[in-house]
Amino acid sequence: MGEPSRYAIIGSGSAGFGAARTIRERDPEARISLVTISSLPFYNRYDLPKLFLGVEDWRDLLAVPTEVFDMLDIQLRRASRVVEVDGRNLTIQFAHNEVMGFDRLLVCSGGGGYLPAALSDYRHLLHDFGSFEQAVVTRKAVPKGGTVIMLGGDMIGLDLAFTLVDTGHKVILVTNDHTFWPHQIAPEERGELLDALTATGIEIIDGRRPTAIEDIGGRLPRRMVFSDGTTASGNVIMAFCGQQPSVEFLLSAGIDIERGILVNTQLQSSNDAIWAAGDVCQIWSDAGKGYKFYHGWKNVRIMGEIAARNMTGAEEAFDDPDPLAIRVEDGRIWSSFWEH
Amino acid sequence: MHGTDLQIAICGSAGDGTIAAGDILKRTMALMGYKVIAFDLYPAEIRGFGKCIARVRVSSEQAYSLKHHSDVLVSLHDGHAIPHVGEVRDFGAVIFDDAPIARVAEGGHMSAHVRPAQIPYGASLRAISEQASGNARGRNIAALGYLAGLYDIPPEAFQQTIMRKFAGKPEAVTEANMQAFDAGYDVGAGVFKLDDVTMEPPSYQAEGARAVMMTGNGATVRGLLDAGIECFFGYPITPATSIMERLAQEMPLRGARLLQTEDEISAIAATIGAGYAGARAATATSGPGLALMAEMLGLGVMAEVPSVIVVSQRGGPSTGMPTKTEQSDLNMAVFGASGDAQRIVLAPTNVEGCYRCAGKAFELAERHQTPVIVLLDLYLSNRYETVIPPKTNPFAPKPFEGPSVGGGPFRRFAETPTNVSPRALPGQAGGVHTITGLEHNELGRPSDLPEMHAAMSRKRHEKLIAATEHPGLTVAKRFGDEGPVPVGILGWGSTFGEILEAMFAAQAEGLPCTAMKVVMLSPLPLEHIEAFFADCTHVLVPELNYEGQFAQLICGATGKPVTRLTRATGTPMQVEDILSEVRRLAATGQPSEGETDERGLEASLS
Amino acid sequence: MNADWKPVYLEEKLTEIRADGHQGYRSRSLPTWCPGCGYFSMSEGFTIALREMGIAPENVVVVSGIGCASRFPFFVNTYGFHTLHGRTLPVATGIKQANDGLTVVAVGGDGDAFAIGAGHIPHAARRNVDITYLVFDNGIYGLTKGQTSPTSELGFKTSTSPYENGDMPLNPLMMLLSYRASWVGQAYAGRPHHLADMIARAIAHRGFSYLHILSPCVTFDKTTRTYANLDIQVCDVPDDHDRADLMAAMAMAESSDYPALGVFYEEQRPTLGDVMEEIGRRARSVPIHGGVIAAE
Repeated sequence: MGEPSRYAIIGSGSAGFGAARTIRERDPEARISLVTISSLPFYNRYDLPKLFLGVEDWRDLLAVPTEVFDMLDIQLRRASRVVEVDGRNLTIQFAHNEVMGFDRLLVCSGGGGYLPAALSDYRHLLHDFGSFEQAVVTRKAVPKGGTVIMLGGDMIGLDLAFTLVDTGHKVILVTNDHTFWPHQIAPEERGELLDALTATGIEIIDGRRPTAIEDIGGRLPRRMVFSDGTTASGNVIMAFCGQQPSVEFLLSAGIDIERGILVNTQLQSSNDAIWAAGDVCQIWSDAGKGYKFYHGWKNVRIMGEIAARNMTGAEEAFDDPDPLAIRVEDGRIWSSFWEH
Repeated sequence: MHGTDLQIAICGSAGDGTIAAGDILKRTMALMGYKVIAFDLYPAEIRGFGKCIARVRVSSEQAYSLKHHSDVLVSLHDGHAIPHVGEVRDFGAVIFDDAPIARVAEGGHMSAHVRPAQIPYGASLRAISEQASGNARGRNIAALGYLAGLYDIPPEAFQQTIMRKFAGKPEAVTEANMQAFDAGYDVGAGVFKLDDVTMEPPSYQAEGARAVMMTGNGATVRGLLDAGIECFFGYPITPATSIMERLAQEMPLRGARLLQTEDEISAIAATIGAGYAGARAATATSGPGLALMAEMLGLGVMAEVPSVIVVSQRGGPSTGMPTKTEQSDLNMAVFGASGDAQRIVLAPTNVEGCYRCAGKAFELAERHQTPVIVLLDLYLSNRYETVIPPKTNPFAPKPFEGPSVGGGPFRRFAETPTNVSPRALPGQAGGVHTITGLEHNELGRPSDLPEMHAAMSRKRHEKLIAATEHPGLTVAKRFGDEGPVPVGILGWGSTFGEILEAMFAAQAEGLPCTAMKVVMLSPLPLEHIEAFFADCTHVLVPELNYEGQFAQLICGATGKPVTRLTRATGTPMQVEDILSEVRRLAATGQPSEGETDERGLEASLS
Repeated sequence: MNADWKPVYLEEKLTEIRADGHQGYRSRSLPTWCPGCGYFSMSEGFTIALREMGIAPENVVVVSGIGCASRFPFFVNTYGFHTLHGRTLPVATGIKQANDGLTVVAVGGDGDAFAIGAGHIPHAARRNVDITYLVFDNGIYGLTKGQTSPTSELGFKTSTSPYENGDMPLNPLMMLLSYRASWVGQAYAGRPHHLADMIARAIAHRGFSYLHILSPCVTFDKTTRTYANLDIQVCDVPDDHDRADLMAAMAMAESSDYPALGVFYEEQRPTLGDVMEEIGRRARSVPIHGGVIAAE
């Protein structure tokens, strides 16, 4: 018996936590560190809209009880920002000036919200919903019956939009190329989907290009200005324009990166010691002869588990799951993206 | 407890300003009108980088002890603070530096140790201080600012305390600290608060202006001064030294005299000499010093000379653990000396009690012509509490009444109804006499006649009994439920804080419970104690020593059984341990000491 | 006390006999020393000195330890404190701290002073406590019936050194001089008038005065420090001795085979009481930071 293997997992979402639990099941001796920039233990991001349903305490959002980490002997390193991964010496450098060694690393740091370049100067006027803390701030900025302007409207955003409408808020959806991301929507389907949104109570602004965002104060302090001079005002403006992988800290890891981390079907990167899962990776597709992103809550979770099994000796492929589907059912939109 | 009740622990290395930060925190809280109880731990070593912890409990209503769990831990040195992260309760906060300048060893950063149910707050304390003031030394103050910002505590009171703390230092120092505080505040105020620690505005703002933070030793000094101490003799010993240090500053201002002697024997010898000459004289020491004083203490009893001996206990035996607390010198305080040498022993249970006991000690010593020991322990000596000083001095000494000059030799040890004989001071005509450590007759002349020794032994004991009814002095006091109860907790000294907290917790659980503190350990206020026993099915006696010295004393005096809860860990008793023993006794009547002993040890070592 | 128990005091019966001034300084207790003991002349010398100096008995405190010499307070009519073995000086220091106006005289034997109590001497001396320390040195423990003392000579046989004492005796005068006692002198029980004079001079000295008094133990030492031997050995401090010259005093103390009687050394420097007064003045003139107690 040698030293127990050291597993490091960056990202404590469903992929990261699922991977940690899987590794523990397969290797009782393993030393497992789950690293996250978040200050909270594992909660499901897809539960954040519940804040508009009256949930206030983050404890009510936890995916697993906090005791689980001790029971599974998983070291949870929160409030820890990774600034660099050294793929040769197999170390992680933290912003807090600590270097942690690993034998195998799983990166499932997910993605950050994408913002069209035209609006990048107005980021400070946007509200976010990517974390519990951001979600609380946003909720507090939206009074009962208030108005939310949503730019884009990816599947994460639409999930929130439905909750907002269901709870008596007004949602103005400003569509763009990222509406329904990550679904690839054929032009002939688009109309039906937008109609379904309208039927739900969402106000659609289609075909107008936003050029600026203003803080005008008053009852509806955020105003979006369009290229045609028209405007729309709301309590908050949020952008839901898809995700872009968070990989800045991997630039000197010596692994192949395109937009995301390039991994083979077994989710292993070009560095034998580094795997990736979730929104952060592009997976080789034999069928497509290229690297593809696979989004959706369920895919992310499954990727984490497969990566963990492969890190602990298995050789399973994440091969061509069912493509994400979206359709209108009984007047409401249904998407396999939302499956858990 | 309603309203605010939170405990903040600040942990760092010597040189990090840990204790200073804790000091500013507790003074600020007291200034704002909160009740505060605080206890600092320092390393025993002077040099090096030993661990310092300042714990401050802030509450709307008076708390009686520190809590076992802190709500917030501020780490100024992760190496020292990491072993203490477990003391933070679930959903409490752990604040640490997330941008230390020195490379951190793997696994040496707090972020790797914060428990999953606790909330980590990474704050760039060093950088904040450096950017604000150009100096990283304000980290501790930046941390206070961060705390104030995070918990929305108005910064003004902090700023006022910081101004006071650095008064007398160059202006640039004060300025740098203020800048560090403000910068920390801004950062803290911008942080998303995820823990469930809350503070409500204090409810006693009017009293805040008069409230002061005092340690047990500080209050003892204040009591001695208010009682008009004229002479002090002492030899430095932890944890009593600060008594001498403060008296050394204050006594000369009042024309009183303090002398650092060559050892404890000399200290008490001179104290008794000064007492014989009529001065209000005292000494202060710890267990090892008291051991050296034992023979002289016997002389004080035999020659019937008033003296006051403050003893702050620490871990023993022998040199023991100078910086750890213990209640293991009770036997020596009550009995230590050759022969039958009964004396008065007072053991205050809180900081205000230190003031009262020290203030009353001279009066008792003079009225009963005996040594009076004021028995503290390190936990009481060094812990801070908010106290409201009395507006007028309750202990002002009365002028000594000289001997009535009659015919014949002065009968210094004459028989009287109170067993207390007339006393004369050197310099007073008509009172010339000699006192001795030999058994003696009424004149003080040596005598070893059987009848004489019997009569004098009786006199020396009987004269003290009235001390249990001394006016203005609490010798014992009962708290909690009145009338018959299943469990009563009997305690003494600093542990009584934890006892009260445990009693309140038991009551909150619906268990009828009562607790009594015994302040006068010698002579024992038996009437109070026996009434307490009469009401309690089980009497639990928690104390910080191995054998249960107080329990033995009580059993011996009452002939009744008690359940002992003893801890010899060098750390304060835990409320939870007392409470679980109360629950057990209330439920089954069966104590299980072995089990709780082990648990306590584990908890204390962790 | 028991009602049926009536003590009878011899001293009360003798009150009227002792009517003259001198007797006023003697107590009503008869000394318990052996007939011929050198301590009688010390007791006598002490009362003569007090009477001649005109110090009222109630303003005098005699503090003693344990031993034959330490019984002294019972035999003089002043305030007295018969304390513990070896603790004379700290008790005397305390009394003087409490009341500068008292004349405090500490009394002990060689065992009390230089065995168990030796640790206190340097401190009383260096602090220059304004007291007088009379040490009655007979080189033996008398009260416990003849054991070796720190000043017993080499080769001396006692009950605790039956095969001869092998411990180098102390030189008390050298000790006191090196501790910077501000007045050091020596007297001899066999010259009572000189002794009384020396006691008076020691008391008159402002500061810590040490008077070493040689005495025989007529009961337990029949061979060494006898009147006969001491009579031959002692000599006077030379007229030309400079009492301010510490080195000369030490040289004289070193020649202990021929003990010199008289004042060895004398200097004036602030007493402990002076130092205390000065500390008080300083404290009141320099405000302490922030009013320490108020803030604490």
